[in-house]
Amino acid sequence: MSTNEAAASQEDIALAQGAVLVKSCQVPDGSIPIRGFDFSTASGPDFSLSAILSSYMSTGFQATHLAQAIQQVNQMLSLRDTPLTCDDDEKLFPYPEGRQKRSCTIFLGYTSNLVTSGLREVLRYCVQRNLVDCIVTSAGGIEEDLIKCLKPSYLGTFTMDGAKLRSNGMNRAGNVLIPNDNYCAFEDWLMPILDECLVEQEEKHLNWTPSKLIQRLGERIGDESSILYWAAKHRIPVFCPALTDGSLGDMLYFHSVKSSPGLRVDIVEDVRHINTIAVKSFKTGSIILGGGVVKHHINNANLMRNGADHTVYINTGQEFDGSDSGAQPDEAVSWGKVKPSAGAVKVHAEATLVFPLLVAETFAKHEGHKD
Amino acid sequence: MSEDHHDEEQFDSAESGAAATFPKQCSALRKNEHVMIRGRPCKIVEMSTSKTGKHGHAKVHMVAIDIFTTKKLEDICPSTHNMDVPVVKRREYILMSIEDGFCSLMDPESCELKDDLKMPEGDLGNTIREALEKDEGSVLVQVVAACGEEAILGYKISTKE
Repeated sequence: MSTNEAAASQEDIALAQGAVLVKSCQVPDGSIPIRGFDFSTASGPDFSLSAILSSYMSTGFQATHLAQAIQQVNQMLSLRDTPLTCDDDEKLFPYPEGRQKRSCTIFLGYTSNLVTSGLREVLRYCVQRNLVDCIVTSAGGIEEDLIKCLKPSYLGTFTMDGAKLRSNGMNRAGNVLIPNDNYCAFEDWLMPILDECLVEQEEKHLNWTPSKLIQRLGERIGDESSILYWAAKHRIPVFCPALTDGSLGDMLYFHSVKSSPGLRVDIVEDVRHINTIAVKSFKTGSIILGGGVVKHHINNANLMRNGADHTVYINTGQEFDGSDSGAQPDEAVSWGKVKPSAGAVKVHAEATLVFPLLVAETFAKHEGHKD
Repeated sequence: MSEDHHDEEQFDSAESGAAATFPKQCSALRKNEHVMIRGRPCKIVEMSTSKTGKHGHAKVHMVAIDIFTTKKLEDICPSTHNMDVPVVKRREYILMSIEDGFCSLMDPESCELKDDLKMPEGDLGNTIREALEKDEGSVLVQVVAACGEEAILGYKISTKE
């Protein structure tokens, strides 16, 4: 190699190094080194779930997001426990009558499919312990909870043949099967209640809304395994602006044909109630599983108070189509639905995988400390 | 069970305490049969059935026409439930004359007279009036009775004497 060639190659290396290896700045104080759970240091085979989850913050990716979500929910819960300092006449929400305000109002949203899944039991725990203040769900979130008190759903697979299932009278939601029989039982249970509601509308001029109807169904189901049973008991309002979009809607349709013009269910009165709850709250926190109406309805109510103070989303939605379902918290900040200061976090994950973990580290621990 | 099978029955039997309706399972009803909807005797003109599913029990959706007012009525009924079917009776009378809008009728078999029925209004009434005036044969009107109501719902010209 000639001296000229050697000099040229030295120059090339320097150029390449300059391009590839930019000198690091000083790492900011408090930065978290990436480090996952080490099974070799776990104390035997009985390491705890909590121990694994405590490594999530430093694991990166969605493990970190879940850990941040856990932090957010714990902040909501401890804020919620702070005693109220307001006058007595401000300590109650105007709706539902008798519902106590807390220092942080927790909005819980979940889509229908999650009640079809076993998350129903996890959700029920939070409601049973009176740890949330306002619920928003879609029609399946109401009817699947009630139907499960009458007859169970069963585990199937995602690949079962649709035509065969149809001829066998089985309906598939993912890998969960719901027999037609369940809906027949639901119809037999529901129709007499709708008849009563119609009488109250006609004779007592009761203005039914989705949340009032849901409260009634929760009172009637008389089953401690039900989310709505406990919501009715604690007077936690359950809003469902899309109440007619499911089996319940089918039943309301048939009922209205039978008793034309039939039962009227007022969504405007309900939107006033949920917006008032948001406005009259001292602080708010949103925990929203899934997208669609459920996600937006909670965010929209929080818009009325210039945004939620704490926000956790868990969903698999992507944002590239511009739908709100997949929108990141920062998009909600632009609308004023989430406060810019809020430590809002979205966990990109399917809720059945991560919500039980979140509850284990938040609601369940909160209750554990109390007992 | 179509209306034609009731031809032989007498109106008197319905008026003297026999049930005005009888129950029939919804799934056994057919198009062109009678059914009670919102307390009115109707003839079914359209029927569709939805199988058992997310909406609950199998349902029969029917569109029917009130046999007296021709008003369209709809109903949806679980296919296993019973619906009321009106006892519909139909008889023919000879139209003798029309006075002050009321018809003078004669039973062709017993020759008994009947004069408590109004001539229907509208097209049917007009064409029956025309047929009576033309006098091309005796005018036989069809009288239908159900649920305590009675009306002339059709006619034909008979050239037989």
